[in-house]
Amino acid sequence: MSILSEAVKKYIGMQSETEIACDSVERGAVRRYAQAVMNEDPIFFANCANNERYGGAVAPPLYPTHLFRRPFGAPDPIQENARNPDFDGIVAAISSQGLPEIEPLKGYALLNGGSEIEFFRYARHGETVKLTSRYADITEKETSKGPIILVITESEFRNGDGDLLIRTRRTQIRRK
Amino acid sequence: MAIGANVYYEDVTVGDEIPQLEKGPLTTAHLMRWSAAMENWHKIHYDKPFAIEHDKLPALLINGSLKQQFVMQLLTDWAGPDGWVWKASFQFRAMNVVDETLRIWGRVSAKRDGPGYGLVDIELGIVNDKGKESTPGKATVALPYRGGKPVPYPFVPPQA
Repeated sequence: MSILSEAVKKYIGMQSETEIACDSVERGAVRRYAQAVMNEDPIFFANCANNERYGGAVAPPLYPTHLFRRPFGAPDPIQENARNPDFDGIVAAISSQGLPEIEPLKGYALLNGGSEIEFFRYARHGETVKLTSRYADITEKETSKGPIILVITESEFRNGDGDLLIRTRRTQIRRK
Repeated sequence: MAIGANVYYEDVTVGDEIPQLEKGPLTTAHLMRWSAAMENWHKIHYDKPFAIEHDKLPALLINGSLKQQFVMQLLTDWAGPDGWVWKASFQFRAMNVVDETLRIWGRVSAKRDGPGYGLVDIELGIVNDKGKESTPGKATVALPYRGGKPVPYPFVPPQA
């Protein structure tokens, strides 16, 4: 039986408003990120010959895609779900890249199915980052463990001047 | 090849292996550190009872997003300061679990001239310490010509 309902298909083509990340590219956050990925290339923290042509210290290539976090004053989903044994820790506003959560898929498990990414420039320390996304496609696939839904999201990340940093096409796997 | 050194288009041959990267063993502390750095609180990466009992997973999972970072380091280290990683794609075909060591690899699959720089296609992947491939992918890297200018920044893709 298909699990891809008409109510889910209605999300195909839906586009987000342009969202501005609540924090600019901060040196301390870049440090924690670079240390967590175990890549302490000097281009990420110091002005050096290798980042001169980028205009100074930059964030790691994929950093802008992780910059959209819960701003001050927004509801705290971790506290709200403190007594919910089924809360998986996923914060919808972050996982959906600025797009509304697909309501009929609430409660479905979510796995990262992969990404296609194009890079045009790095985000420099101090820059703001803007995001626009759309649900490019939603399809169903039969697997040995039953049907799954593939949600394809396309996003563009730009700096405060509107220069394109990164374009992504991401696949999320949702299953009951 | 030293990290931070340039590689030139003319020096690349189809079939070349690019220098591998090894990460691990990746412990719960590594996974927690990454979750905190990107403020992603998906419990399957740090809450063992939830991962196993609730989500029926075999163990805590290494984040796909962390594996992407390793692939990007492989590529940017190889591209050098005058090159540019234009495209990368990843498929998460199999899980990697906590305490595995990952070997990130890449191989040149094609090359072609571009507008003032060369383009090199790469097949890539991530293999765990049991030899299992989990993350096949592809990339396209722009490299400078020997004696030529660095790849333009910001990067302008070739016209289709």
